[in-house]
Amino acid sequence: MASDNIYLPYLMKVDGVRDETRDVRTLRLKFARDEDAAQFSFKAGQFGEYSVFGAGECTFCIANPPTRAGFIECTFRKAGRVTKALRDLEVGDTAGFRGPYGNVFPIESWYGKSVLFIAGGIALPPMRCVIWNCLDLRDKFKDITVVYGARTVGDLVYKDELREWSERSDMKLIQTVDPGGETPDWRGQIGFVPTVLEKAAPASADTIAVVCGPPIMLKFTFPVLDRLGFARASVYTTMENRMKCGVGKCGRCNVGGVYICKEGPVFTAEQVARMPAEY
Amino acid sequence: MAMLLAKKNLRALLRGAMDRKYRVVGPVREHGIVLFAEMSDPGALCLDELNTQNSIKEFFFPKTEKLFTYSLGKNDAAVADDFAPPRTVLIGGRACDARSLVALDRLFGWDYKDKFYFARREATCVITLACDRFDEACFCTSLGFGPRAAEGSDILLVPVEGDEYAVEAVTDKGRALIAEVKDVFTEGTPGAEKVAYPEKKFDLAAVKPWLERNFEHPIWKEEFLSCLGCGTCTYQCPMCHCFDIVDEGDIHGGARCKNWDSCQFALFTLHTSGHNPRPAQAARWRQRLRHKFVYYADKFGTEACVGCGRCIRNCPVCLSILDKLVLIGREAAAAPAQPAGAQP
Repeated sequence: MASDNIYLPYLMKVDGVRDETRDVRTLRLKFARDEDAAQFSFKAGQFGEYSVFGAGECTFCIANPPTRAGFIECTFRKAGRVTKALRDLEVGDTAGFRGPYGNVFPIESWYGKSVLFIAGGIALPPMRCVIWNCLDLRDKFKDITVVYGARTVGDLVYKDELREWSERSDMKLIQTVDPGGETPDWRGQIGFVPTVLEKAAPASADTIAVVCGPPIMLKFTFPVLDRLGFARASVYTTMENRMKCGVGKCGRCNVGGVYICKEGPVFTAEQVARMPAEY
Repeated sequence: MAMLLAKKNLRALLRGAMDRKYRVVGPVREHGIVLFAEMSDPGALCLDELNTQNSIKEFFFPKTEKLFTYSLGKNDAAVADDFAPPRTVLIGGRACDARSLVALDRLFGWDYKDKFYFARREATCVITLACDRFDEACFCTSLGFGPRAAEGSDILLVPVEGDEYAVEAVTDKGRALIAEVKDVFTEGTPGAEKVAYPEKKFDLAAVKPWLERNFEHPIWKEEFLSCLGCGTCTYQCPMCHCFDIVDEGDIHGGARCKNWDSCQFALFTLHTSGHNPRPAQAARWRQRLRHKFVYYADKFGTEACVGCGRCIRNCPVCLSILDKLVLIGREAAAAPAQPAGAQP
């Protein structure tokens, strides 16, 4: 993307395909040109525009951590024209990528603290990048806790990684599914994420909370974190709104005067509280 | 002494530009409607109407812009971008139109630079006509400028007594064009200016603070219930700049395009999950007003409205942004902001 055309994507090759659930898939993309790969870098929290030529572009966060670079991953649910086309890609096929865009999680400023991750459903992918980033720098942090819930057991993404996290002794994983979403052999919790979080009552002292989920989950999770004693400036989220350009032009993703693509997607709960209720 | 252009020489000016291989865009009558369009004959220039139906933005930010083409082979893929806009003379815009360009420059140049917009800007010489009349939808003066403002123009033509225009060369680009076609101009003392100023209709300084205070207010529902969500206002607006990015083509080849979009459409903000942050038309109108008078002003130091009145003249249900701004001005005067510290 040495071009002055800000809409021109990098050419990517599909390097790996992994099914997470029946309708959620992860693609691993590698740069088609070595010079692009050499000069590309990103940080946890940033997003990009992924495209299939002939179908269009879609906005997703970069789901792999910058500590494991050389490729980018996106995890998406098949929902519309572009995600269907992305899903139809096979290893070796060509895709497009523009990015990285947006701001980042200030991970360096969390060194020495505990980190609590809270994610719902398909919102684990934006969080996975940060979780692995922290795990790859494990000695920089105190406790690492992940609370993750989905509608049903089948809707939990990254099942292999959840297993790995649940077996690690240097972190804690609390998994939950919505009532009715459990299977006979389900050993996790049953209940909505905010409820399970409140019951688990993780310590708030010297702890950063990172929340990602649909708007309704944020709405119910922030008050729980308030009650658990988290300062709103220590609670981070990554917001997603419908987006097209990613570079502050197309006028679509704003919440009030805040452009998610430019000033975000990473915000503190304090910043979110100042936004009009239009997200 | 000043430079003058006889009105009868306007077409000679355009002919001169065409002879020098400029593309000429100006108001022409098509199917009974006066529109900005590319002209092949200077005789088609139509200055009957105060304002064209479309704005000049489409000659800088087209309805559809090819961002690049792509071709995919079995083992290779390529993207190409051979964008080169034609050298253009754009005549017949008003001071409001020209001002919109200066305001749009800030958005398209903010951080990431949109080369398509700026290449067209650089390739286009804007010749603006100061207004000798106005109608009830005009409100440039309420926005702090007026019908003979030169901002955004390369050449400003001000009508004066004696069927002439006083010629103001505003930029180097304008001066260069004048030098190229200098035979059509004369030197002389201009007569009195025939410029018509609409009266000021609301207090702009009161609008932004009122909008900031009243995200929730009954007027959003009461005043905007009749909106159909057709998006005409945003398409005719010289300042509205929201766009979509879509692919046109198939897996073998095609183009990625930037197309106009509108915040007045329900789909504009609809999430994949079905959640819509702006679920009702009232919220979309509020967005339109707040974007123009709060968000854009905060980010770019100017309103995203130039008072051209196109959205008012073309609204199918006669919803007038001017009426609403006047109403907001009245509301603001009736309920002024509490002084700081007086709030609980």
